[in-house]
This record gives sequence, structure tokens and C-alpha cells, in this order.
Amino acid sequence: MNYSLNAYAQPLTTSQVAHLLRRATFGPTQTEIANFTGLNASTAIQNLINNINYIPLPPVDLNETKITVGQEYVNTTYDSSLSRNFDFRYYYKYWWTNMMAAQAGNPSIIDKMTLFWQNHFVTSEANVDEYRAIYKYFMKVRSKSLENFKDFVRDITYEPAMLKFLNGNENTKGTGGVASNENYARELQELFVVGAKNFAGDNNYTENDVKAAARVLTGWQYTNFYANTTTAVDKKFTLTRHDTASKTFSSSYRSVIINTPAVYPGYTNAGEFEVDALLDMLFDHPETPKFICRKLYRFFVNPNVTQEIEDNVIASLANTFKSVDPITGRTFEIKPIIQKLLASEHFYDIANLGAIIKSPAEFVVGAYRFFNFPVPVIDSANLINSVKNHKAYAQYLYDRMAEMQMALLDQPTVFGYDAYFQTGYSRNWINTTQVGLRNSFTDKLITGRTLVTGITPLVAIKIDMLAMVDTANVAHNPSIPLPPNYDVTNCVHIVDLVTMNLFATELSANQKIFLIDTILMIGQQRSNWTTQWASYKSNPTTTNINTVKSKLDALMKYLLRMAEFSIC
Amino acid sequence: MLKAYKNMKRRDFLAASSSFLLPVMVGGFGVKAFGANSSLVQSLMKTDALAKDRVLVIIYLNGGNDGLNTVIPLDQYSQYSALRSNIAIPQASILSIGNGTTGLHPSMTGLKQLHDNGKLAVVHSVSYPSPSYSHYRATDIWMTATDAAVQADTGWAGRYLEDRFANYPAPPITDRDASNAVMEDPLAIQIGYLTSTTLLGSNQSMAVAINDPASYAALVSGGVGATTTDLPCCEAGDLVTFIRQQQALAVSYSAEITAAHNAGNITPAPVYPTGNSIADQLKIVARLVGGGLKTKVYFLSIGGFDTHSAQVQSGGGANNSLGNHATLLGKLSAGIKAFQDDLLQRGVEDKVAGFTFSEFGRRANSNSSVGTDHGVAAPIFVFGSSIKRQSVGRNPNIGGYSNLPTDLNGSVGNQDLKMQIDFRRIYWDILTDWFGRSKTDAASLFLNTSFDTVSLFMDEVCTIKTGSWHDEKTWSCGRVPFITENAKICRGHTVTLSANASVKNLQNYGNLSMAAGVNLSIKGV
Repeated sequence: MNYSLNAYAQPLTTSQVAHLLRRATFGPTQTEIANFTGLNASTAIQNLINNINYIPLPPVDLNETKITVGQEYVNTTYDSSLSRNFDFRYYYKYWWTNMMAAQAGNPSIIDKMTLFWQNHFVTSEANVDEYRAIYKYFMKVRSKSLENFKDFVRDITYEPAMLKFLNGNENTKGTGGVASNENYARELQELFVVGAKNFAGDNNYTENDVKAAARVLTGWQYTNFYANTTTAVDKKFTLTRHDTASKTFSSSYRSVIINTPAVYPGYTNAGEFEVDALLDMLFDHPETPKFICRKLYRFFVNPNVTQEIEDNVIASLANTFKSVDPITGRTFEIKPIIQKLLASEHFYDIANLGAIIKSPAEFVVGAYRFFNFPVPVIDSANLINSVKNHKAYAQYLYDRMAEMQMALLDQPTVFGYDAYFQTGYSRNWINTTQVGLRNSFTDKLITGRTLVTGITPLVAIKIDMLAMVDTANVAHNPSIPLPPNYDVTNCVHIVDLVTMNLFATELSANQKIFLIDTILMIGQQRSNWTTQWASYKSNPTTTNINTVKSKLDALMKYLLRMAEFSIC
Repeated sequence: MLKAYKNMKRRDFLAASSSFLLPVMVGGFGVKAFGANSSLVQSLMKTDALAKDRVLVIIYLNGGNDGLNTVIPLDQYSQYSALRSNIAIPQASILSIGNGTTGLHPSMTGLKQLHDNGKLAVVHSVSYPSPSYSHYRATDIWMTATDAAVQADTGWAGRYLEDRFANYPAPPITDRDASNAVMEDPLAIQIGYLTSTTLLGSNQSMAVAINDPASYAALVSGGVGATTTDLPCCEAGDLVTFIRQQQALAVSYSAEITAAHNAGNITPAPVYPTGNSIADQLKIVARLVGGGLKTKVYFLSIGGFDTHSAQVQSGGGANNSLGNHATLLGKLSAGIKAFQDDLLQRGVEDKVAGFTFSEFGRRANSNSSVGTDHGVAAPIFVFGSSIKRQSVGRNPNIGGYSNLPTDLNGSVGNQDLKMQIDFRRIYWDILTDWFGRSKTDAASLFLNTSFDTVSLFMDEVCTIKTGSWHDEKTWSCGRVPFITENAKICRGHTVTLSANASVKNLQNYGNLSMAAGVNLSIKGV
């Protein structure tokens, strides 16, 4: 195993590019793989950063029965009489799904980073409920995904959505035997910044530290939720709700004492001053950089962090994280460690290929991207139908992710999706029911479906196998590269073509033989393919079409059911 | 060949799926799981060699249940109310159980009925030494059943199943409790989509996950995407092996699940509450058990117990009996009550036992947001017609008994409930008395640690150490034996009686030392 975080020096091969794009995006298209092949590793990740569009088109009203269909709604005045809150917050799920699936431009890392951080700083839209608060939170997460981590934590602490989700809003000075609300104070330390335990399993702080932090955080509330005539939610600090007594922390935090200052130059109120003092303390903890780097590593590289990985990779990355970044002059910059990690020799070590079971998002969005089913755009000239298609596309993918236990913006607990923290990590995505759900999803790619029936344009989601293998077919996509010397009349070439970049790992020779002889040719002579193809081309009767098409469909259905398709 | 494939037994199917060149997706994508009413399945269902076997139902209350509003110390109502005035349940609405010193949350009328009928036990103040306040870590401790300082990646029930059933998941899977008879059914089932740490064995989960047995076979039909046994290197190879195994298991068990589900369809249909996820899950369990599935462990869960705020409905007074926590407890109670009624109707009541657990209890003091923060000990419920105790331990002393040690811990205004009963003692009784493991075997399942019984399934309560008759710690049940109970002094224990006491019967294998003038009255059968 190569533990080096030095940049991988060789030009990237096709399979290495595919590895990077599977991890840094929601799965590549063949065109993207071709475009990145031959770049060096540092340039490749730099491109994925340069391609980021930080100002995406805002979500629009997707209810075609409303007069506001297709219009932006996030900056409009709240109007409870319209009863649109549920719709509006649900549309973010579709909006984000379609951002993940978008193939309109060059691939970028932003939505994968956003997924990581949204699952780190979890709030659930079902709990937060207020559509403007969810949007503000989501855009905060997205815009800070590659920026300064300490700024990020501070901003999240004040996010109205978070003040609701983890009860900051109810956190007041304890009186008369009633204590402050500890919810945010605990998760801030356990999940967001420090981690409950170090790699060896020792506690990073004490229960009293949770209580003390809860007191530091008293007094913050959200405002304007569901408030008619307001355009935005906000936060506020109320000194009378704040616990102004001294807060003393344990030796885990060098016995820091946080007091409420009488004057607070540079701050609007004493609460802000104290939150910054608390963050200084948390970021001074030696486990903080390691905790974050380890979590990023498990998400992007390999969930299995051995002692060797901890000592050689996590420690080194954490050192970079806590060091002053030469460009910004600040510590805890996210972008440099992502660049370092995803360009490293270690990232491209063969042991890390296919080392993660695809999340439902990677599985379903990845399949739609790989097989080139683009997101239907909203077209003002055909507004209603184009909105219907746009929404149906996202809704289907969102529903599949949700039934596979990855409801976007709706984690089951503040810990995030099970597969990112439970024993077994990504294996938690798979069990007897999940394999059934994955199979149903991929089968449907071959049997085909229509996004919305009875409208124009009619958008079909169906892998056209005849067009895929046949360069002479009018529906063939010329931008998809072919294997060298490709010959459609040779069944060996067919298998080479359709498995190209499909899996994260190489198939063995025996597996390819099995796919050719048992699955594609169903035990017939290989030469039968040549004959059957010739019959189809010269005399395309229903029977002759079906002879080759059924073989191709069976092959693709089989490939997508293989365990290898579920890893990335 | 295709025909033969269709009639393969599960073990053959699995054997084939791990052999070289498995031809799957044959017949135009139609490897159907064997027919639901195949003679194989039918004949298996009629053999009762394993059918008497006992079943365990585990219900996980996700989030940390507030024990003090679930089981309320009526004997110390004023102290209870003072600890949590903004969420205290009004005294008059509390459902009194037993001798009236203990009460249940008003929403739990079903559980009160079960308690009155001897089918529900309350185990008071359950926790473990050095408790964790983290959801994740505490859940892990409960599911792995290790000491708090020890990390493990197998679950306690997973270890049990792995020890009892040889070869899982490769066929033939044999049951050493049944003369190595072949086990064709899933060892454990998790209702829902994700699998729990509780059921992790050393290499994989010992459970299959099903969401809906009615549609399960259709969901998993269509074959396995295995080609050859060839694997990619490293971690990827392990993952591919794991996924292939789950694919094979999914298909291979679908016939048994479907058959049991069909066989369990009875009239009149059992009545369950609607809009109640735990009732939905229990309904599936009863139907599968009733339908003859020999699965040993079912794992269910219900979320929402992390009640940091708005635990009760705002407004105070009678509203404190309403709100989020009340709704959850009401669903739990109604679900378990319907389940027990269903099992009774099916005639399988005696072979099923269940219990609830949560990763921790909540703080004795409420917080300023009409909720409770993470705490320590909490009661758990054990249910079933086979249980022999209605209570283990006693109400925590929250200040009502100034002559006795307090069960509150921490600074005033921020107090936790201390542990009375280590949760692993309940697991111990399940493994030894319910599933019939020897004590040596049971200890090995706890990484070579033994625990004292809590006499959940025993006719008598027994001594667990030498000590005073009047000291609750002398007795397995965590309290002094009731007059209605049989008591046993175990070999090597000396029990000192310093005041009059009464029991139903006494078996004395140790020593009873009675002070002068003190009587022990034996009430007899």
C-alpha cells in the first residue's frame, strides 16, 4: 500500500479518471472520462474545482396547476394563505437531485462535497419545515463546502435551520432546577468538530464540557419562521436568555473558562463573542483536524481506516489541515486538503479502487449519468410539459434514493445516514431487501419507462442496446468512445464495449468468458452472433431484431445486477 | 436443467451460488424463488422438531426513551413533579399497576392490561457502568453488549445465532440445539430496510431484512448477478463477496418467507391499530411466527424518542399527558397489546417473548424547553405469556425515602437516575432461560463474562450473593421477594433475616440465619 499524499505523477489512465469521477462526482459519463484521460492528477482535481458553479439556478415552483409554475420562490414574501410550504421545501429535494444528475457542463466536485457536509451538519427538512430556512441552510452548506472550516462551523451554529433542528432556539439559561438544552452543544462537539473519541477510543471531552458548552450557547433563537410579509428567516440573540455565569471546561480543553464580557469590541453582542471563544477552544483540541480528515477520508477514499492509514495518511492530512494555508493565510482550509487527498498517490493505489459500496445517490444518479439520460430542462416555450418532465425525472430518482434509505435532506438522525458511521460503513447500504431494490431499479433501465405519459415531448428512459453497439444506428451516440478496432459482428467486442468503464474494478478473463458465452450467447456458438447480426442488418424483421436485441438486453440487465456494479 | 433449478432446495441453491460458473438469470430473467406452496416448504412446516422453538422479539426505541415519564414512581409523586414540573404527568391520569406504588404513562392502557394479565414485566432503572450519553456509542454498547470501555463489531444476538447455527450462510445450516437438524429459514429477520448491529455476526449480519413479506418474493426475484467466483483485489473483493452473498440470501429465503406469510393468513384477521409503525411491524412478526417460520430473532424499531424539546404538548396541566412522547408510548403500547392478542389467537403465545430497549434514559430533570436531555437509567419492558415476574428492581428513590440511598446523581437541577439493573442481566436470562444456553456458553457470548439472573423466566427469585434478606441486592429480582413469590437461597449463600418476612415458598440450598424472635412465614401454594 502506498501511503504517500504526494501528487500522483503519471498522466491518468481511463480507469483512474473513472475512479476519480466516481468518488468526486455522482458518477461519470463516458465523455467526461474521455475528456479527463491523460491529465495529471493535480490538474484533474483542479478542474473539478474550477468547474464549480457556486450560483446555481434557484429552485422554481414545480406545481403546474399554480400560476407561479416555473418561477423562483425562495426570495418571495412568506404567505401562509397560499399553503405552499410543503411543496416548496420538497422541491429542494428534486432541485438537488437534478443538480447531481446534471450533465449540462463540465463535471465538478461541488455537489458531492455538499452531500458530505449536509450529512455532517445534518438538519432534516421534515423537522426544520420552514422552506426559507431550509434553502438558506442548504445554500450555506453548498457555498462553504470548500472554504474555511471554522467559518463554516460558526455560520452553521447561527443557521436558523440548525437553531431549530438541535433546539438552540429553546436553549435558555437554566433556572429553578431546570437545565439548559444540551442538544446542539453535544452534537457540536461529538459530531461537528471534535468527535466523541479519538482513534484509540478514548473520550475527547467530558459530560461537563457538554453542559458548559450548552450554557455558552444559550440565548440564540431563530426568527421569522412562517411569518407573513417577511422575506427571510434570521437569527437573534437575547441577553436575558443567556447564561452569564462563568463556564469552566475540563482539562481536555485545557481548562478554558469562558465568561460573558461587558464589552465586546468587534462583535455585535456578548453571545457572538462567547461562541467565538468556544470555537477557538474546540479548534484548539488536537483531535479536531484528525476527526474531520478521517471522516473525509472514509467518504472519499476508503471507509476502512486501519492503524496504518491513521498513522500515515490521516495524521499527515490533519497536519496540513491545521497548518496555515499559504494562499489564504489561514488554518483549517478545506480546499487544500481535498486537493491533496484526491490527487495523492494513495488515492490511486489499487487497494482503494472499488473500496466503497455505492450510496443510493451514487447508484441511481450514477446510472442515469453513465447512460446519458439528461435532466429535462424547463423550457418557457413549453412550460407546463417541460416542468412536468423536469419534476418527474427528479421525483423518480429521489423516490428510489429514499426507499434505499437515502432521502436527501432528510437523514433519519443527526448522525446522518447509517452507512457513514455504523460498523461496516458502506456495507450498511446492502441487505437482502436493498439488493432487490437495486435490481428493480437497474432492470427498469432496460425495460424502459416514460417520464410522463401523454405529453410532448415524451421522454423515455430506456437503454437502447442496439443503438449503443451499432455505430450505423441513427440513435447511436457518437461521443461515446469505442474500444480499438471495434467490430459489432464480433460478440467478444460487444462485451468489451458494454463493460467499458462500467465497473470500478477489472473483470477477470473467466468472468468475460462467462459473460460472452453464458449470458450473451446463452450457450450458443460465438459465431452465431455474426450470423444473427447479419440477418438483423440485412432483413430487420421483428424476429431478427429480437434475436439480437434480447441477447443484448439480457447482457446489460445481467451486468447491472452484478455485485461489481454496486461498488465504486 | 432449468427445471431442476426451479426445484432446488435452498441449501442447494446456495451451494450452487458459490460454485464456479453459476448460471443465473436463466429462462429470460426468471429464476423464481421456489413456489410458495412447494411440497418442500409445506412438508417442512409440518415437521415440528423445531417448531416448538422459542422466538425473541427485540423492539428498539430509537433516540433515548424518557423512562421517568414512562414508568412513574407514584409513591414519590411530589418529588417526581418537582424534578420536572413542566412535563410532569398529572397524578390522577397515571395508570397505577401492581400494588399502586408504580404507574404507567396514561397513553399505555394496553401495557397496563398486559401487566394485569401477567404478560408484562417492568425492569426498573436499567443501564450499565460508565454510561455513555452519545446516541451512537450508547446504542453500540446496548447492541454489542460489551463493557462501556470495550469496542466490538459483533452484536450479542448475532453472536448467539452464529454459535448456535453452524455454517451460516453456507448450506447446510444446522442447529445444534436440534440435533443438528437443517435450518431452512432465516435465523433472524429485521423488519425495515437497514440491519442492526445487534444481529451482526463475525462476518456478516445474521439477519435478512424484509420490509413487506407480501411483496418480498417479487422484489428479490430475478436472479443473482454472480458470474464466477473470481474477485477483484483488496477491499473491493471483500465487498463483492459480501454483496453476492446478500443477493444469494435474498433469493434463497424468499420462498420460506412467502410460504409462512401465506400460511399465517388467518380469519378472522387479527386486529391491529392503524397508522402505527410498530404495530405494522409486530403484525408481520405474528403472521410469520404463526405461519410456521422458524426464525429465532426479530428486530424492530421505532424512532422519535430523542425528546429534547416539546416532549409534551404545551399548556401545562392535562396537556402534559399529551404530545410527542405520549403518542410514541401509545403506539408502542397498542402495538404490543394487539401483538399479544394476535399470538394468543394463533396459539403461539407461549413461544414468543419480547423486550423493548433504548440507548439511554433521559435526565431526571426536565430542561427549559419542555423536554429532557440525554440521561442514564430507564425502565425497559419485557413481554410475553412466558415471563414469570412483573417487576425487577423497584422505583428509583428520587427523594421520597430519605432514610435510603438516593438514586439521583449529579448536581441539583441536572440529575441522572442511577442504574439498578445491568441490561446484560436481561440478555443473560434470554440466552440461558429462554434460549436454553448453558451458563458457560452464555458467558462466552459475553466475551467470557457472567451475569446474574434477574429471574425473568424462573418460577422463583433466588439469591445472587450472601447478605441480608432485606437487602434488595441479595436477590436476583433486585428487590425483596414478594409474598406471592417463591424464593430460593442458592448453594453457598447465607441469608440473614433480621425482621419478619413472608414468601410463598422457600427452597433453601444455602443457609438461613434468623435473628431471635424473627419469623419467616411461608404462605404455601
